[in-house]
Amino acid sequence: MQIQYRHWNAAHGWRGASALRELPQLVLYFGSREGLAGGERYRELRGFYPDSHIVGCSTGGQIHGDDIADDVIVAVALHFARTQVRVVNETIESREASRTCGMRFARQLAAPDLAGVFVLCEGLNVNGSELIAGITEVLGPDLLVTGGLAGDGTRMEQTLVGADGEPQPNRVAAIGFYGASFRFAHGCAGGWDVFGPRRKVTKSDGPVVVELDGERPLDLYTRYLGEEEAAAMPGSGLAFPLRIHDEAAPERQIVRSVFAVDRNAGTLTFAADIPEGCTAQLMRANFDSLAAGAGEAGRQARNALADEVVGDKLAILVSCTGRRKVMGQRTQDELDAVAAELGEDVTRIGFYSYGEIAPPAATRRCELHNQTMTVTVIAEAAA
Amino acid sequence: MHRLLARQIRQSTDESGQVDLARLGELVGAAYEESDRDRRRTDRAMKLMIEELEQTHKRAEQDLLRAREFLDSIIENIPIAVFAKDARDSRYILLNRAGEEYYGMPRQEMLGKTPEQIFPDDIARLVNEQDRRVVDSGTPMFLEGHLLEVGVNGPDRVVNSRKLLVRDGNGAPQYLVGVIEDVTERINNEARISHLAHHDALTDLPNRSAFNTALAERLARAQEASTSFAVLSLDLDRFKDVNDVFGHPVGDMMMRAAAERLVAEADGAFVARIGGDEFTILMPDDIRREDVLSLAERMVEAIGKELEVDDFLSHVGLSVGIAVYPDDGVDAATLLANADSALYRAKREGRGRVCFFETEMDRELRDRRLLQHDLRQAVEQNQLLVYFQPQARMDGEIIGFEALVRWNHPTRGFVPPDQFIPLAEENGLIIAIGEWVLREACREAASWPRPLQVAVNLSPVQFQAGDLERSIHQILLETGLSPTRLEVEITEGVLIGDFTRALNLLRRLKALGIRIAMDDFGTGYSSLSYLQSFPFDKIKIDRSFISNLEATPQSAEIVRAVLSLAHALYIPVVAEGVETDAQRAFLEREACEEMQGYLIGRPEPIEHYFNLIGINVERRRYA
Repeated sequence: MQIQYRHWNAAHGWRGASALRELPQLVLYFGSREGLAGGERYRELRGFYPDSHIVGCSTGGQIHGDDIADDVIVAVALHFARTQVRVVNETIESREASRTCGMRFARQLAAPDLAGVFVLCEGLNVNGSELIAGITEVLGPDLLVTGGLAGDGTRMEQTLVGADGEPQPNRVAAIGFYGASFRFAHGCAGGWDVFGPRRKVTKSDGPVVVELDGERPLDLYTRYLGEEEAAAMPGSGLAFPLRIHDEAAPERQIVRSVFAVDRNAGTLTFAADIPEGCTAQLMRANFDSLAAGAGEAGRQARNALADEVVGDKLAILVSCTGRRKVMGQRTQDELDAVAAELGEDVTRIGFYSYGEIAPPAATRRCELHNQTMTVTVIAEAAA
Repeated sequence: MHRLLARQIRQSTDESGQVDLARLGELVGAAYEESDRDRRRTDRAMKLMIEELEQTHKRAEQDLLRAREFLDSIIENIPIAVFAKDARDSRYILLNRAGEEYYGMPRQEMLGKTPEQIFPDDIARLVNEQDRRVVDSGTPMFLEGHLLEVGVNGPDRVVNSRKLLVRDGNGAPQYLVGVIEDVTERINNEARISHLAHHDALTDLPNRSAFNTALAERLARAQEASTSFAVLSLDLDRFKDVNDVFGHPVGDMMMRAAAERLVAEADGAFVARIGGDEFTILMPDDIRREDVLSLAERMVEAIGKELEVDDFLSHVGLSVGIAVYPDDGVDAATLLANADSALYRAKREGRGRVCFFETEMDRELRDRRLLQHDLRQAVEQNQLLVYFQPQARMDGEIIGFEALVRWNHPTRGFVPPDQFIPLAEENGLIIAIGEWVLREACREAASWPRPLQVAVNLSPVQFQAGDLERSIHQILLETGLSPTRLEVEITEGVLIGDFTRALNLLRRLKALGIRIAMDDFGTGYSSLSYLQSFPFDKIKIDRSFISNLEATPQSAEIVRAVLSLAHALYIPVVAEGVETDAQRAFLEREACEEMQGYLIGRPEPIEHYFNLIGINVERRRYA
């Protein structure tokens, strides 16, 4: 595998060395909603790579190497020596159609030599858990699926995804990698700690939590954030995700962030369904614990990567917008922690998302996460 | 240098290496602001968390208090004495209400005190010993069904008690917890239930189940020791009549009285009541036949004596069948069946008797069952026939016929009516047979040119079951026979059961125009009150008196008495079984109105009497 790295900013346009001797099969790119809207960047990339699949999404900040940038668009062009790539994309009609959309996807990708799937998905109007459930239902639990939900800074208004076309809202794209040489490794970790009493979800409706221990959840968050910060909900709510714990499936503990607020009803909408009757506990983190969590994700991915890899290695870092919100200028620390674990020989690119897709180490069952750092490493082995 | 500051300096330095101080100041200021915000958020979260945890703790305490009150109210109100003591010195620290009742003192007098301060010395010593044993061994003490040692409810109460050790957090003995349950009622109830399961509620004698158990034990013992013993099957004669006449409350008292007499005479033998008026007795081992016989006869005599209960006098009798192990059977079923066979023979031979089993009886009983089975088929397969016997005035003028049922069995030939009629009455077939005979007789009589009477017998069973009036009415309509030509003959058995019902039925039949004759008069009770209670159209003197006319002078006197009684009541009399001219002459002299018997004609198929009913034989034959 060979990698060509390019980036764009308003002052200089596209920059980047033309390191590829052969045409790339796949181009990945990430940028802010404003940067991608209108499709001009896509069209320019199409001009560079007329025969490649071009897949990208809007974010809450782009990761390139050691840096985070909001006003830079980052792209990598990948040439595979022995791996085939197929890209599928769908419009998602409604949240309720998430599962069937996932199944439709998976059926288009399914093949005996399918070795891994990377998903980029609309960030606000999709039920990520259901989408993943639809995919794994068709492809089986053993096939590795990773990816992320597109972002929109901390505004949470609109997200864009494009696959061989201009980025648009309500799109879902997936890239299938085929062949015995393809190598796919991943890690996924958070670094958050639970605190305060356990609360019961006494009333909920899909992803909308109506009551926690009989109390309006917005009141609880307002108390914890203070009036001033509460005015910046839902973005400020990212500082206090919930750990959801279903008594019926104790090994499955999911972290969920607030994505929308109904100030009149006092309800909060989370990234995926929160069943009535399950236990919820607030979580918090400090700079060091989040950086340590990211390092753990990097370590898992590095350990999972096979030794016999030849050529370049690409790490796609998908980290949660909520982490960046908490860490501020210290966000760099988590990228440093991942880099330290992965080593100098791995090219890093990525973005801040509204949700991360990967199997956690505990269950090895692909799920949608919030507030994690997810690292996906792709590479090729010798024939 | 802090990593963040290094990064901030790098970010504030342009390509020429110039540091933009304003930019650096912004970055550093923002970082402080971020840190401050994070610290404020953390402080706030900590404070809130502590508040929330305190609230949770308070809630938990309240929950605990409520749970404690809840448990306290349960302990206070359960009807079992509960106490707790200090494990070190056995001082009472808890006692519930049932405990106060059990010890007979308010808890204030017990709490804080040791057994020595509460109980007499000997009991205190015992209680302390038990307490020490539980504390030292650490194993709970269970005492089941023991009598009270302390307590006020009386020394005959039975209690279950438990005592167990509760240890503190370090494993040291802390409390002794005890419960004392008064199980006297339960034990008494269990005994009562067990008694009820094995005894007859009316007489308190062992029941069938208890008898079967006793017989099985006796058999096992006899087989082992090669001894013999007798099984007696007893049946009270005519006891059903007692219930019918006096009602069940009196019947029950009589039954108890009869049972007492049996037990008094049984000489310690095992007496059981196994059904309505049936008893069984197991005699001791190796008792001689003559002793069994004399005991049975003593019982027959004892029961035969007048039973007087609440001013009601009754005569019931006793029949006894005896089977002996091992001669008459080596298993329970055979022994019982053979004792029953002997009992059946005793009853058939005239009741009030004692019969030992004989092999022949067994055959008889089986034969009887076979016959009963065949009878059912006989009805279905038209093996029954109706014969007619003429009835005449004393001058020989034929006035009618009595219809009589006959059974022509395919292999046995003609079965005598006195054999199969009782069988049919026993299993209820008589209802169908009676109705069939009535219909055949009416149909036949309706076809006769001469309007002669036809007499049909009705069984008491027909009176008791079904709608007799309706079916007679239906048959008359069907056959077109005038009711005035039909005569029904009843025995006094019809009146003995439900007297009022039978009388009402007879009145309604008579209202239809049907004549009612009293059959077999002179046998049985021949209660004169029956003659008074209903205007019979005819009395039939039983054949036994007529056939003895010449042999015994008493018979002639009885016939004379019946005739004069009937004439005084203006009821005509038919003499049955008239076979000789001498008999006819006697009856004519005594002004008997009508006769029936071989002298006039035997029961025959109606073809035999075509001339009497007005059919030209030749014409009918070739018609």
